[in-house]
Amino acid sequence: MDPLAYAPEFVVLAAALLVFLADVLGVRRLEAFGGIATGASAVAFALVLADLGTPVLSGLSTLPAGVLDAPLGPGITSFTSLGLVFQAIFLLAAFFVSLASLSRPSAEAGSAVFFGLLLLATLGMLLVALSADLIFLLLAIELASISTYLMVGYSRKEARHLEAAMKFYIIGALSTALSFFGASLLFGAYGGTSFYGLGPAATPIGYPTLALVGYALLIAGLGFKVTAVPFHAWAVDVYDGAPTDVSAFLAGGTKKMGIFAFFLVFLAPLLILGHTPALGPRGFASALQLTLGIAAVLTMTVGNLLALLQKEMKRLLAYSSISQAGYMLIGVAVASGPAVAGATFQVLAHVFMKTGAFLVVAAVASLGVGPLIEDWRGLGPRRPYLSLSFALMLLSLAGVPLTIGFVSKFVLFSSAVQAKGPFVWLAVAGLLNSALSVFYYARILKTIYLDPPAPTDAPAAVPAPAAGIGWGRGAAILLITVGIVALGIYPGPVLSGIQAAASQFVFVGG
Amino acid sequence: MSGFDVAFGWAWLIPTLTAVAFVIVGVGGRRMARLEWGGWVAVAFSFAAMVVGILVAIGEMLAPGSYTDSSVTWISIPGSPGTFPNGVQLDIGILVDPISALMLLVVTVVGFLVLLYSIEYMHHDSGLARYYAELSLFLTAMTGLVLSDNLLEFFLFWELVGVCSYFLIGFYYEKPSAASAAKEAFLVTRVGDVLFLLGIFIYFAVYATSGSAPGWAAGGFKFTNGSAPFLAGAMGGNTPLLTVAGLMMLGGAAGKSAQFPLHVWLPDAMEGPTTVSALIHAATMVAAGVYLLAVVSLFLGFTPTDQLAIVAVGGFTTFFAATMAVVNPDIKRVIAYSTISQLGYMVFAVGAGFTMVGLYHLFTHAFFKALLFLAAGSVIHAVGTQDLFKMGGLRKTMPLTAAAFAIGALSLSGFPGSSGFFSKDDILGSVYATLGTHPQYWPFFLLALLTVFLTAYYIFRAWFLAFGGDGPRDATLPHAHEPGWTMRLPLVVLSALAIGAGALVFDPAFASLLPGIGVPPTFRGADLALSAVSVGLVACGFGLAYSFWGGGRVFELSESTWAARVRALLLHRYYFKAGYDWIGLRATYTVARAADFVERYVIDGTVRGFERLFAGLSDGLRRVQTGVVSDYAAYVVGGLVGFLLLLVFLAPWLLQTVGGG
Repeated sequence: MDPLAYAPEFVVLAAALLVFLADVLGVRRLEAFGGIATGASAVAFALVLADLGTPVLSGLSTLPAGVLDAPLGPGITSFTSLGLVFQAIFLLAAFFVSLASLSRPSAEAGSAVFFGLLLLATLGMLLVALSADLIFLLLAIELASISTYLMVGYSRKEARHLEAAMKFYIIGALSTALSFFGASLLFGAYGGTSFYGLGPAATPIGYPTLALVGYALLIAGLGFKVTAVPFHAWAVDVYDGAPTDVSAFLAGGTKKMGIFAFFLVFLAPLLILGHTPALGPRGFASALQLTLGIAAVLTMTVGNLLALLQKEMKRLLAYSSISQAGYMLIGVAVASGPAVAGATFQVLAHVFMKTGAFLVVAAVASLGVGPLIEDWRGLGPRRPYLSLSFALMLLSLAGVPLTIGFVSKFVLFSSAVQAKGPFVWLAVAGLLNSALSVFYYARILKTIYLDPPAPTDAPAAVPAPAAGIGWGRGAAILLITVGIVALGIYPGPVLSGIQAAASQFVFVGG
Repeated sequence: MSGFDVAFGWAWLIPTLTAVAFVIVGVGGRRMARLEWGGWVAVAFSFAAMVVGILVAIGEMLAPGSYTDSSVTWISIPGSPGTFPNGVQLDIGILVDPISALMLLVVTVVGFLVLLYSIEYMHHDSGLARYYAELSLFLTAMTGLVLSDNLLEFFLFWELVGVCSYFLIGFYYEKPSAASAAKEAFLVTRVGDVLFLLGIFIYFAVYATSGSAPGWAAGGFKFTNGSAPFLAGAMGGNTPLLTVAGLMMLGGAAGKSAQFPLHVWLPDAMEGPTTVSALIHAATMVAAGVYLLAVVSLFLGFTPTDQLAIVAVGGFTTFFAATMAVVNPDIKRVIAYSTISQLGYMVFAVGAGFTMVGLYHLFTHAFFKALLFLAAGSVIHAVGTQDLFKMGGLRKTMPLTAAAFAIGALSLSGFPGSSGFFSKDDILGSVYATLGTHPQYWPFFLLALLTVFLTAYYIFRAWFLAFGGDGPRDATLPHAHEPGWTMRLPLVVLSALAIGAGALVFDPAFASLLPGIGVPPTFRGADLALSAVSVGLVACGFGLAYSFWGGGRVFELSESTWAARVRALLLHRYYFKAGYDWIGLRATYTVARAADFVERYVIDGTVRGFERLFAGLSDGLRRVQTGVVSDYAAYVVGGLVGFLLLLVFLAPWLLQTVGGG
């Protein structure tokens, strides 16, 4: 394999090593590390887009001809259009977070660790998107996960960060163990770990129950990554306890890696017509689909219910993030080309909406506003642009037309309606949940715009109007807001690109 | 091929220009409310839009029958075997074809003239920035509607013009009558909009899955059929479902075009500024309903049942509205009833299958009706009242206005040679020619013919009352004078169009904007006798008006006669408004009270119940969030066991029982 084909991964790896090297050599400026991380993710993003055949950038492409979307072979990596789309999404999240993190205090301790780990986690995610083998996939996930455990506690000072990191690590380790156990059972059932070997009719499953147990273990292990209920409990404490920029990366970035892992692990067995006499025609796939669908509905419902009564902004966003993962899982359960495209577009939308929302929370916190939702009272008139951005993100999360969130839900739910099997119930559950979620998003909007500022605020406690949020954060929030509206009004090219990639992927997978 | 083809590519500029004006005036206008630059900005941009509109129309005339469709896909769902085998596509696009070019001409020309007229007419009002911004937005929406290349986009702009109309009717929102008229207009047209939307759903259901044009929905509800423009022929089909869909479209058109029984809102919409009445409630927006019927008839086609229903609604409305105009004392309301009546003619023609003839009347009507409104506005501007019985003798002090109103009246009543004569006679003659094969149209044809007499009577009654006689009947009226040039120029231009626009159709190039109308357009298939009857009716109407009201006379009805009772019935608008109000007050309030009860105790209760349920659930679930990591690990293990059971035992059992997959 041509090493140049891995150019984006090498760029990110080199940048990570550069950051750590500079730290050892005594560089202490956050801007230097942040600049490297931002630049590397931008370059890698451009390279991935070039590999995808984006017209303007196609000259940059380093991918040898005929490699993209080639039938899965026995290798441990493969280049699929959908994988590249996910790589682009991951790099977008890394770019936004590192750009926004440039606005943190320049002399902050541990900034090299933060940016270095951010890059390493990104590298792990990029490798996930290239996986063609279950063991390679799990190792790549580990690379990303261990980096993020450390990121949560990188400041090494605040007890709540460390506590969050510890919880994250323990539950993460448990889920890793479950995943590998599941992988070993699948190896037993299929006699291999290549996704090529998982499910094709070529190898009838000798032990269907063994395979089912393996898949159940993987649902649990990967469900931890995507915060599927009931493997979600860590997420709230971690998103809440971690530095907000890290939460933005966790919610917008690493979680999405789990969705792609779900695609890799489950689409092959789902798309192959069943061949286990014990469960009847298609029985094996149907059982998996039903289970995944139940997981999707459970996840979105519980996430939304928990968000309803939340009083803290970060925890509310964490719960809303859980419910959004439920919507994405619809795409896995339905397992058709359009559904995979819808889930992928939802992942892209979520990068904008949730990364953006956490970045706004970080910006608002830097203005001295407290963690409770009611601390945001009267923010609308005081910070009109920041509030408008946040309002657009919330409206998009709620799925209001002309935002990206509407498009993704529209595509996703309609794919469930028009799919071959009986999946209408997933769309209905999604719609009901969307309605439910409007309650808490609207409540926040009301707090920001309609409620008067807290009367107890002594004049001195009100942040000075001149206080800025920093240009890096401002630029990231601006870019995200523009993206939400632009892709909401005109999703055409991006959406059709994703749809083409998804149908390729489903084709390759089957 | 000529240089004007380029203009097709510019069509998108038209809505864009007025949208820019909307943004400039809307954002910047509030700061400089005293200065009138906002008005001039709107005028300048609408002028530019008019120039482009005229260029597009000329381009269309030079290349007859050509069309350009440029669209982008907004959202596309590929099909997969299942419910929608063809998928769904939503497009946003611009379609320039003969009839949209014709409509562009009407909308941009009248739009510019009305905005220019507003400069002086609205001079004394406050909130001008709002006024000009909303009018510019209306022009954007209306030209967008005309240029839509698919039914969904059409509906989007359709809603937007409705919203603009709502804002502008309620421009004097401090006035309770204006606020309530705006609400009434919004609610009544909303009834039509809901029917329209239902129609779209039915068409979707029919054409998304099967039917004569499978995949129409997949193609984005387009008004073009693959490579051919929709003028190539309707998709046709005659099933009960399509009949229902067609009736829904008629409902939508009836709401927008104020057809019976959804006509009540238009006279009350006269609460808005007269300029708004001229542009929105005479020339353009109310014609959108007719345009909708035209587009549907050309592309989707109506079933015979639909056609009869449309003819009946149109023909009846024509007569019904004219009778109410006969007795009304308010100059603007007389013209408003006349508008409903004339829109009825258009609906009548489209229903009978003469789509192009209906559009022809739409075209001529836009000019002479805008002229009548603007002339009335000039009078109202001068004397400060709308009551015809207080006016009188104004031809002496306002000769230009009197002449303009007279030209509008002649054209409206169908005086030979005026533009209204050609188009109205074309409608009557065309329908007359089909009576042999469609005897069921007879009653409605007779009503439409009788309306010719009523039209001439009521409009000249208005003229004699306002302009005839020696002087005002109410001595307290201020001394009238002619307005300034910004008001006079539109009157002059529209007068010229009211006389000459009809004859334009004799030019084959112009007639290509109305494909299939034939040159010359009138007397097609009918005979001269019909025209003679029609002209005779005009003469009778004029004569009666003169004998009752001419020379300053005021015709008094003795209170005891049956005629007085008829008059009261007409003045009360057949008690329709009262009936609706009764329905509103009694029936609706009863329903409302029931609904309120349901709302309060059932829905609210349910909502609150749900709220409490969800809150309870939420609270219960929150307790699970202990923050203790070993608990979380326990959930993971518990969840794993649950999924294992689900996957290995429960799911297969469920599938076998329910039979999914």
